Amino acid sequence: MIRFEQVTFAYPNRQDFRLTVDFFASGACTALLGENGSGKTTFGKLAAGILKPDTGRILYDGQDIAGLKLGEIGRQAGYLFQEPARQIFAARPLEEIAFPLELRGMAKPEAEQKARALCEEFELNDTLDQTTYTLSRGEKQRLALAAIMACEPRFLVLDEPTTGLDRRRRELLAATLRRLLARDLGLLVITHDRTFAESLGADPRFIKEGVLLDG
Amino acid sequence: MDSRKVKGREWCQRGRFALTPQCQGNRPPDTAPDTADTRPADTDSKRPDPRVIFALALFFSGFGVALRDVRFMAALLCLALLCAVLLRVRFKRLFGRFKRLWQVVLMVALLQSLFAPSGLVWLQLWNVPLLTSGGLEKGLLVLFRLALFITSAALFTPYPARALIQAMVQLRLPYEVAYMVSVGIRFIPQLGEELRDSLTALALRGIVIRELKLKQRVKLYSYLLLPVLAASLQNARELAMSLDMRAFRAHPKRTSYYTLTLNRWDWVLLCVILLLTLFAFFAWFAVKSW
Repeated sequence: MIRFEQVTFAYPNRQDFRLTVDFFASGACTALLGENGSGKTTFGKLAAGILKPDTGRILYDGQDIAGLKLGEIGRQAGYLFQEPARQIFAARPLEEIAFPLELRGMAKPEAEQKARALCEEFELNDTLDQTTYTLSRGEKQRLALAAIMACEPRFLVLDEPTTGLDRRRRELLAATLRRLLARDLGLLVITHDRTFAESLGADPRFIKEGVLLDG
Repeated sequence: MDSRKVKGREWCQRGRFALTPQCQGNRPPDTAPDTADTRPADTDSKRPDPRVIFALALFFSGFGVALRDVRFMAALLCLALLCAVLLRVRFKRLFGRFKRLWQVVLMVALLQSLFAPSGLVWLQLWNVPLLTSGGLEKGLLVLFRLALFITSAALFTPYPARALIQAMVQLRLPYEVAYMVSVGIRFIPQLGEELRDSLTALALRGIVIRELKLKQRVKLYSYLLLPVLAASLQNARELAMSLDMRAFRAHPKRTSYYTLTLNRWDWVLLCVILLLTLFAFFAWFAVKSW
């Protein structure tokens, strides 16, 4: 469970914005809703350890993440960027999923086997012969998700995952996320799309001008 | 709005640029007749014309390549640093941003000093000279030369990209080339941001870069190139389309809404640079023949 204990954060070059949050994810899936510039992405980046709070603590299952390196946080939490192309590194989908596992010491055949299983699960089998650069947005997003899931994180932060997806793709994504939720994964979904949040059965939380609203 | 755009616009409004006659003709009748009245007492317009800086940078970098004498190089570097101070170059920011580059420069100077020993031996270990007068001189020469090049480039940093493009265009450089340079400059911070995002995304896959072996690190960096390259190609394609939509290169010449004008002080500075160049040439030849 992710917990924010009296966290404050301000960007050095943006004096007009300050995030002040005391937050506890009460359910498996929390949806963070709010207007543009309200601090949703900042909140998500703090939750994933990308940004460090000015004051307060962020805890993963009671463990303070302040002293951890980003790579160590990455073994516990995954982050899906709004633009999935930014987190695709390899030329082929299988390699994309397998290479971090190999870098972390897994044997190549084992990593490849795991990658194939994830491609199957995330409906990427049709894309295996393509280069990742030519994949559609939805496919890139599924590939990025599969690559994150290969690291078996306990929490997953998704930043505006429905951007640029049509209704059918949104439903597919919701189905995939529901499957992940069934595996006891903690989800934090940052979105404008309330319907999408409801389809995940998420606990909705609202943020306005850097302040998390009650209820 | 992008702060650089605002800075560029402010710079244009502060009087360094003058409106071209064609554009003055298009000005609505109720607007102010000239920009001179909006020039504040102490503004960017007090800086020399960018073309003067081009001449200055050419002077420093040209002699930086040609000179072999460490004393001359040191004198030239001091002069370049003085110019940078007068132009209010933000050294702190520059040093912070290029910290690694300065480390490389120092390393190159040290290696030069170690591997080109000559003259008096000041320090040796098992008959291997570590510090010699000639080696130190060569090391310092490399250090001063590289510092001179970096300082010459830094002279442009107080100027907005728009002013530099206009200077290039008015120096008779084809405007396509000037725009290419400006596009290159514009994308440097964007590339940096993309690289940082990619590194973050990689770390969030549970990879602690410091724990990797050298071979694994090399492999990792090769992976980093793909998203940055893909984003660059995408940006380039979109920019090309945008330029086409604005009829870029449809005509051999372009008129500019703003033009640069050399004032009396700019001419004085250009003359000083010319005299300095001549003096340095004569001094160089005199020392060489002596």
